[in-house]
Amino acid sequence: MAVQPAEIAAGTVPVELTAPAAGGGRLLRSGGLALSLALLVVIFGACFIWPLVGSVPRPTGGSVLNANLSIGAPGHLLGTDPVGNDELSRLLYGGRASLEVALAVNALGIVLGGLLGALAAYVGGVLDAVIMRFLDMLIAFPSLVLALAIAEGLGPGEVHTIWALAFFSVPAFARVARAETLKVRERPFVAAAQLAGSRRWRILGAHIAPNILPQLITFAFLGMGITVVLEGALSFLGLGIPAPAPSWGNMIAQGQSVLSAQPRFVLLPSAALCLAVIAFNMLGDALRARWAG
Amino acid sequence: MSSLGAQIHVGPLERARDRLARLGGPPALRFAGRRLLTAIPVLWGVTLLTFIAMNSLPGDAAQELLGANATPAEVHQLELKLGLDKPFIDRYWHWFTGILHGSFGHSLASGQSVIGILGADLPITLELIAYSLVVSLVLAIPLALVCARWPNRVADKLSLGVSMVGLSIANYVLALILVYLFAVKLNVLPAIGWTPPGQSVGGNLKSLTLPALSIGLPLFCFYTRLLRADLLEHMQSEEYVVTARAKGAGPWRVLIRHALRNSVFGLITIVALNLGALLGATVIIEDIFGLPGMGHELLSAINTRDVPVVEGAVLIFAVMVVAANFLADLLYSLLDPRIRYGGSAG
Repeated sequence: MAVQPAEIAAGTVPVELTAPAAGGGRLLRSGGLALSLALLVVIFGACFIWPLVGSVPRPTGGSVLNANLSIGAPGHLLGTDPVGNDELSRLLYGGRASLEVALAVNALGIVLGGLLGALAAYVGGVLDAVIMRFLDMLIAFPSLVLALAIAEGLGPGEVHTIWALAFFSVPAFARVARAETLKVRERPFVAAAQLAGSRRWRILGAHIAPNILPQLITFAFLGMGITVVLEGALSFLGLGIPAPAPSWGNMIAQGQSVLSAQPRFVLLPSAALCLAVIAFNMLGDALRARWAG
Repeated sequence: MSSLGAQIHVGPLERARDRLARLGGPPALRFAGRRLLTAIPVLWGVTLLTFIAMNSLPGDAAQELLGANATPAEVHQLELKLGLDKPFIDRYWHWFTGILHGSFGHSLASGQSVIGILGADLPITLELIAYSLVVSLVLAIPLALVCARWPNRVADKLSLGVSMVGLSIANYVLALILVYLFAVKLNVLPAIGWTPPGQSVGGNLKSLTLPALSIGLPLFCFYTRLLRADLLEHMQSEEYVVTARAKGAGPWRVLIRHALRNSVFGLITIVALNLGALLGATVIIEDIFGLPGMGHELLSAINTRDVPVVEGAVLIFAVMVVAANFLADLLYSLLDPRIRYGGSAG
């Protein structure tokens, strides 16, 4: 089983979700790519564009007089929550918060982790040892535990959640970047650039970065799924995005108290969260299969 | 790492390692010794990072403990008592030497020793982890065998679909769905609380069943996919499989006696390596089900800003991950003699 320890530690082990290449595999795989892309377009469109162009009520500040309206109530497609906020609006705005955090965390991972990993592999020697030992220490913490400790220190809030989660996304990306850079470093065009007298930074930026970026982006889609789940966990525990602003995680936490009477307040945000994670996982998986050939 | 160390200088660490190597003994033992020595700087770094994370971030422990109505004089007095006026390095050194002597300090809230508090919680967390692992492996191994026996047939396709959902569902979502089904609707298992095994063993297992399923079912999907892929790889490429077939062994015999025996090494390693993610999962699952384990303690300590308890819990979690990774390396090399002990360590 050729699995990198760092990937397991970060909870991002590549597991083949699509069928193996034999038989109808290729069809299923390209089907997975199209399906997951379509799903993501719908999810992102609903969360980021619909509230701008459509008439979606505010996700907070609802009136208690409107509380607990059932699904399909006039003006409230998915009803309202126990304090009278429109449930659909909360789902959309909540998704926006969750996806924003996930995007920022993975962007930080690609940039910082990619830089650290590529630098470690390309320069090698002491720098490599120092960077990798430091990242080993970060990976030694169970991701949620470290994120909890940092989020607690910084206090709840969207930006703080991003920093807390970046603490484990950066080492994971750095691992991938390092492994890929080690491969690319041996390719003839890097030697050619070195012989032509290019500077280190130029080789890193112009020759190595474009070649490791596809792997990092593929990894980022799997990372998006994990980040959405972890952001949900932090918000669920009250250390992520603070109420009354919605996020899928804190919506699930609020729904927990009325789970036995009205399970829809748990099920709706849970379904949205799972759908997004499935889409990210499928896309990451399909892309990886594509790169692998 | 090892060759790098030799190039720069020969420090006490390298000398100790060389001495250990010269002691001879089985190569596995030497390998274990070398791995243990590389784990030490990581462990030390873990204590430093834990302390930095808990001490240099904003938030005032003394103020938080006394409440918002405390006078500045009272806050100052408590800070003196807790040693918060001393420089960071002094406090770290005090804490670090305390750990080396087996003391994690005392809880700010209750005054009890941190070791005592966490020592009481640890068995519950470990039982939960063990139960989850049993659930996942007991389900995963037979299913993976069936999938590998008839790849791309109905069972395999079904397991693929289930895995896709199982790997994408967050454990706290799964936990709430299980609570709704088994505690609210069917009313067969408790939704919350923990029964000590001393009181009733059956009740103890019952109270841990839903938490263990919440952690174990996604793991089951994960292990099934990995084991299936590994089994198929062995079945398609390994020469001993061809030999066994040529000697007339039946398909099940080849699969179980030959391929599975080799795949189990990898699976054990993955289980050990995966412990970190598992420990993270116990925090939120213990919170949902009200289990008085380490994760529950960590969360309540976070909410009351009981810094020594948080530090102790985070450190114990991290040490368990390092230990599990060490164990995984060791198991892998011990179980599979084909792995070379020397070469590219680090």
